[in-house]
Formats: sequence, structure tokens, C-alpha cells
Amino acid sequence: MGKKYNVKDYYCKHTTRCSTEGRKKSKRFVGHNVLKADAWDKVTGDAVYPDDISFDDMLHIKVKRAVHPHAVLKNIDISKALKVSGVVDIITAEDIPEVRQYGLIVRDQPVLVGVGEKMRYLGDALAVVVAESKEAAKKARDLIKVKVEELEVITDPFRAMEDDAPSIHPDGNILITHHLDKGDVEKGFANSDIIVENKYQTQFIDQLPMQNESGAAFYDERKGVVNIWASTQWLHDIQADVAQSLRLAKNQVRIIQPTIGGAFGKKEDVSVHIHLAIAAIRTGRPVKFTYTREESMITQSKRHPITIYAKTGVSKDGYLQAWETKFIGDTGAYASSGPAVVHKGMYHCTGPYNCENVRGVSHAVYTNNTFCGAMRGFGTTQAAFAYESQIDIIAHKLGMDPAEFRKQNIYEIGSTTPNGQQLNHSVNARETIESAVELSGWKGGNSK
Amino acid sequence: MKKYGKGMASIMFGFGYGEGFPDHSIASIEIMEDERIQIKTAAADVGQGVITTVIQIAAEILRINPENFEVIQGDTHKTKNSGSSSATRQTYFTGSAVKKAAEELLANIYHYGSIEFRSNHPELGVENGRIFLYDDPDDYITYWELARRVKESGNRLEAEASFFPVTYEPDEKTGQADKVYVAYTFLTQVFEIEVDTDTGIIEVLNVYSGLDLGKAINPKNVEGQIEGGTVQGMGMAVMEDQIIKEGKTLNAGMTDYLVPTSVDIPKFEHSFIEDEDSEGPFGAKGVGEPTLIAASPAIANAVYDAIGVRFYELPITPSKIKKALKEKNEENK
Repeated sequence: MGKKYNVKDYYCKHTTRCSTEGRKKSKRFVGHNVLKADAWDKVTGDAVYPDDISFDDMLHIKVKRAVHPHAVLKNIDISKALKVSGVVDIITAEDIPEVRQYGLIVRDQPVLVGVGEKMRYLGDALAVVVAESKEAAKKARDLIKVKVEELEVITDPFRAMEDDAPSIHPDGNILITHHLDKGDVEKGFANSDIIVENKYQTQFIDQLPMQNESGAAFYDERKGVVNIWASTQWLHDIQADVAQSLRLAKNQVRIIQPTIGGAFGKKEDVSVHIHLAIAAIRTGRPVKFTYTREESMITQSKRHPITIYAKTGVSKDGYLQAWETKFIGDTGAYASSGPAVVHKGMYHCTGPYNCENVRGVSHAVYTNNTFCGAMRGFGTTQAAFAYESQIDIIAHKLGMDPAEFRKQNIYEIGSTTPNGQQLNHSVNARETIESAVELSGWKGGNSK
Repeated sequence: MKKYGKGMASIMFGFGYGEGFPDHSIASIEIMEDERIQIKTAAADVGQGVITTVIQIAAEILRINPENFEVIQGDTHKTKNSGSSSATRQTYFTGSAVKKAAEELLANIYHYGSIEFRSNHPELGVENGRIFLYDDPDDYITYWELARRVKESGNRLEAEASFFPVTYEPDEKTGQADKVYVAYTFLTQVFEIEVDTDTGIIEVLNVYSGLDLGKAINPKNVEGQIEGGTVQGMGMAVMEDQIIKEGKTLNAGMTDYLVPTSVDIPKFEHSFIEDEDSEGPFGAKGVGEPTLIAASPAIANAVYDAIGVRFYELPITPSKIKKALKEKNEENK
């Protein structure tokens, strides 16, 4: 805390100089434990995270969020809030009619929900309060009065897919469907001696980076460039999305990355960026916006809960014959990375095992839950819970050591994935089993 | 009573965006007159260590100590697209782009050096930031001096490169394609656990990992990924659960949303399979995401081994364990 930067000092501290004591005499660097270049700054507290950035004359933002997970906004009254001492600006949708929706893959997220429009989850923004202090902004935000017309709240993707379910978005509740079809699953099951069929269910998980969403912004009127200091996992993509939303040229949006306090997928989406830019442009002053943990958990993406049906056929000598699967992913109120996550899970449905006959379908489905997006593993984490449970169950049914059953079916050079991709290099899956068996002294578990 | 169990999981992970997405990374590198070598990349270091990784790669190619390097990262007006720090792609993509840029720069060091020495590259040595003739190593030119001379001639000692591998979009009806992902990382983990049948608490004792990663650019950072990823996977397996009822989160804070802490961390042993056989830099593959994936099924399999109960829903919380054990006891009566 306490670091202050001049608004002209656009760079803050984003150059990392390597320090590597002890390797001076070495001629080899790859394959060696060179000390992390940013370690010193991080352990001494010199690293500048977004919330450490503070400018003179800086304003603070708080956002009024949706009051119901699925409702039409009928009226928003900011008159009392405007009277709070220290409030500089309160921005609602009617102030920014030209601003467009944003989103990582599908631009389905409103910057602010306007009167007559729908809020689709509790993280939707209704108003941006800009004030001289965080306290004033918070006080004013809590005085904003909202009237809504409540709609059915859809919390379950299976309800969302029913014919009589209200559409959360104009094109219906199934955001996207993907298919897999390799070989002949009917034939594969006919050749199977054992068929194991189960349903698996995973949960909402927060990526929980230590650093919440946070950023600062300043509009350079002379250059016509809005500078945003905020952490993101993909600078140029956020830049493009912010620019299209605000109808600016790409080079009018400059994203500068302070030190990032973790991400795990959560910082792929726009969070503070567009609200910061609008407030900076309207007020002409530096602005800052940091989410609370509660706001972060409610507003930003989650790991998809996925319902996975897996039907696996195997011959009595322990070779996989067929695999049929279905993935239903709850993508929540907005698409985010949803169009890419659920089917990536399905594309990994058999795990690293040879199976000639595979069929699958996946749906990413809108609900009124907090939207789901990217999190470390990106759908394949959920998939692995299902396929590695199936493999273990089958090994026990066959009376085989689970390690031996795995090795018997494991990918090698020349194997094909559920997508029909032939693996032509770097396939050492068998060696991973052998080394884990050796390290652990595996003898097949208690059942052996 | 505490019941011991062992469980295994093997996983694969196709890294990079793949699926025909124009996934690529651009990096540049320049030797400055003031004894700095500057790498420019937009690759976000979210803690995984991509800054260190690209420095090590460039240092290896340019044969000079990492402490001479600085990285400008994270400024859309100073760097070109490096793609996202996700999809387990930065070591492979940005690492490759930096390697290619460093190779091009090394070739230019030889080119301009050969002009200075009125010689050709087989007769030139390059080491520790110096260029010299093998015949007379004491008569050298430093990189910094070379950069100054090149600048005087109106050029710069710099290079830019990109890495842009091809993948194909899967067929809409069948999901089939020749190359959906650039490559796959493989991991097997064995978990040793104890289930407390009175409290329902699962304690993870030991985790043994075999990781097929091609090459560990920085072994310590890979260990960090394995341990961090595995503990995050343990959270998914036994405790993490954002409870959303009627659209409302009931545990929006770290008081009620449980995550593993230092007391939950097991002992680890790792084995790296380093065949240097991938098309990434020095044969490296990505490891970020794969390290999380095996934990939840391996723990579920270990729970089955310990108490004979199979769980199909995550997380496997103490209350679920106790309920299942109670049901099992009643069945056996």
C-alpha cells in the first residue's frame, strides 16, 4: 500500500529483470532450477498488484448488481444515491446507449442492464457508482432503488432444456451442442462381455485466485486512449472486447498488466475493465475498482457442473470395445468459455485408452446460475472423474489389477483419440503408469 | 477407525486451443547497448513462471546468463499477441516463439560478428555474451558493443518470431479431424489416503506422480505445478462446492467455501518422463492443467479401496462418507 503513481507513468512496474545468483558459471539454463524471475519482488512485497495502484485524484467504483436471478428491470431510481456526499457520477444503461454487449466467445453479456431488459443472474450490473471514496460509493450504491418483474428462475439445465421452459436468451437455452461419432458403438457393445453404465455429477467450483478482480483506469484525452491496468490472462483479447463494446479503435484501448495474483481461468473474462473505462472517460479522472470476494464469487465464472453419462463396454479379456457418453454442462447465465469447455471434456471421454467405437453428445445449457467458464482443466477435469471411475469399476469387475487393466488399453504411438486424431509423437502414457506404480510400490490396492 | 486405501488415475490432456482455432504466439527479443537483453511478450505470468521459462530458453540459445535478461510483458501497446495463459499453452507456444526469435538473433550475432571480424561463422565463437575468433579469443566484441555498432549502421540487433502450429476443426456431425490438438500430456497419479470412519474425513497421505512432459525447462517450477495442481484437485474431490440455490450463492466467502490449506497438503514424489519428443521448445509439453485432473478420480478410487463405497458425485464430503457407511452397515445387518 501507499505506492502512488503519476497518471503519466503508464508503465507502473511491469518489466521483470531476472536475478539468478549461483548460476553465473553455468553454460546450460534449460533443465535447471533458475530462480523465478519474479520471486524476489513477490516475497519482499515490491510486486505491484492492481489493487496496489493508486493515483492522485483517484475515484472509486462500486456496482449495483441484479436483485433477482431472472427478472425484467422495470425501474431504477438513483435520486437518493446521487445526494450522497462524494458521489461524482452514477451511470445507468440509459447513459450509454451506444455501448455494445461483450463476451469471450459469444457477445451475450450486457455492460449494464437497462429498463425493460432482463437480468439473468445475480451478478448482472445495473448501475456504476463513481465516488471520491469507496465508502461513499458503497453508501450510494445501497440507496439505489430497483423495481423488477420476476420471471421463473431456472437453476437446473435439465429444466432449461424442457420445451415449456422460458428462454433465458433469445435463441433458446441450449447454447451449443457437439457430437462425437467414431467407429460403430452398436457393434462394439455387441462384442462386449461386460457393460458398465453410470451417471456422474460434478459441482460449481470457484477458481479462487488470491487476488480478486481489480483494476485502475485513466483516460488520456489528448491521445484519445483509455489506459486500463488490470490483470487478465489474455491482454489482446480483452483489449479487442473492450474496444468493440465501447466502439473504439483497438489502439484506443491500452491494457497494462500489473502483477497477477493468480487466475486459474477466472481472469479470461472481462470483469472490471469496461466499467472502469466508461467511468474514466466520463469523469476524466483516474478510477479504481476492486471486487470483494463475495462479488467475485457471485459475478465471475465458475467451473461447470457437468452431468456425465458413461456407458463402457469391455471384452472378458479386458479390452475396451465401446464407449458412449453424454455431457450436460450448466453454463449459467452467460456463454463465457462455455461453448468450448463442455465438449472439450467430451473429446477426452475415454481417457488415454484405445477404444475403436465411441459416440457422444454434449450440450452447454444456459441457466440463471452464476455463469461458468474456464477453470484449470477446462471440462476435461470433470470428464476424468467419470472415465477414471469407469476404468476402476471395470477393472474390479474383471478381477484385474487396475494398473494392469490400464496398461493393457493405454495409448501408444499410432493410437487414435475419440476425435480420430492419430497420435504420432510424444505418447509416453504407459511410462507414466509404470513410474507411478514403481514410486508408490503399487500392488493393486487392498482388494488384491 | 481409520481405513487405508490406494487409488490410481491416468489422464490425458490435449493442450493449446486446438480445433482449428488460429492459436499463435508472437515474441521479440533485442540486445540493447546498456547490457540488457529485452524479451517482449504479452504472455501473462499468472504465477506459473512463464517469464522465467522464456528467459531460460533465450539464455540457452544466446549462451548468456539469465541475469542479463528482462521481460516486458503485459502491455498491449508494447507487445503483440501471445494468446492466453490458459489451455496449458504458454511454454509450448510462447516458449517456441521466444526460441525462434532467439535463434534468429543468434544468427544475426554471427552475421554482424562475421562482418566485424572479416571472417565467417565457422571461425567465430559465441559465449557469455562475447563474439571472438577461435584463433584469438582475447580479441572479443561484447553483445552490447555489437549492438552499438549495428545501430550505428542503421540496424538493430533484434528479432521477432511467431509460433503458429496447424490444427483442424472437428467435423460438425462426428467430431473427427486429423489433428484436433497440437499434442497430449499424460499423467498417472497414485493416491494413498486414510478415511476416518467416525468423522468421515479423508486424509491424503501420499501422492506419487508419473508425468510425461517431454522436457522440464525448470524442474522446480514443474514440481510447483504438480503440487499446486494436485492440491487444487483435492479441493474438488473432497471439499470445494459453491452452493447456488435458486440462483443465489449461499457460501460466497472463504468462511463457508472450503479449500485445502497447508495442513491438508500430502507428501509428494514425482517422476518426470523426459523423452524430449514433443514439438515444443527443447521437446517440452505443457503441464499446467494436467496436474489437477487426476486427483478427483484417484481419490474416489482410493475411497472405494478403503471402505468399499463408490461415489459418483463430487465433492466426497465427510457427511456423504458417514451417510454411505451408515447405509452400508445397515445393509450388512
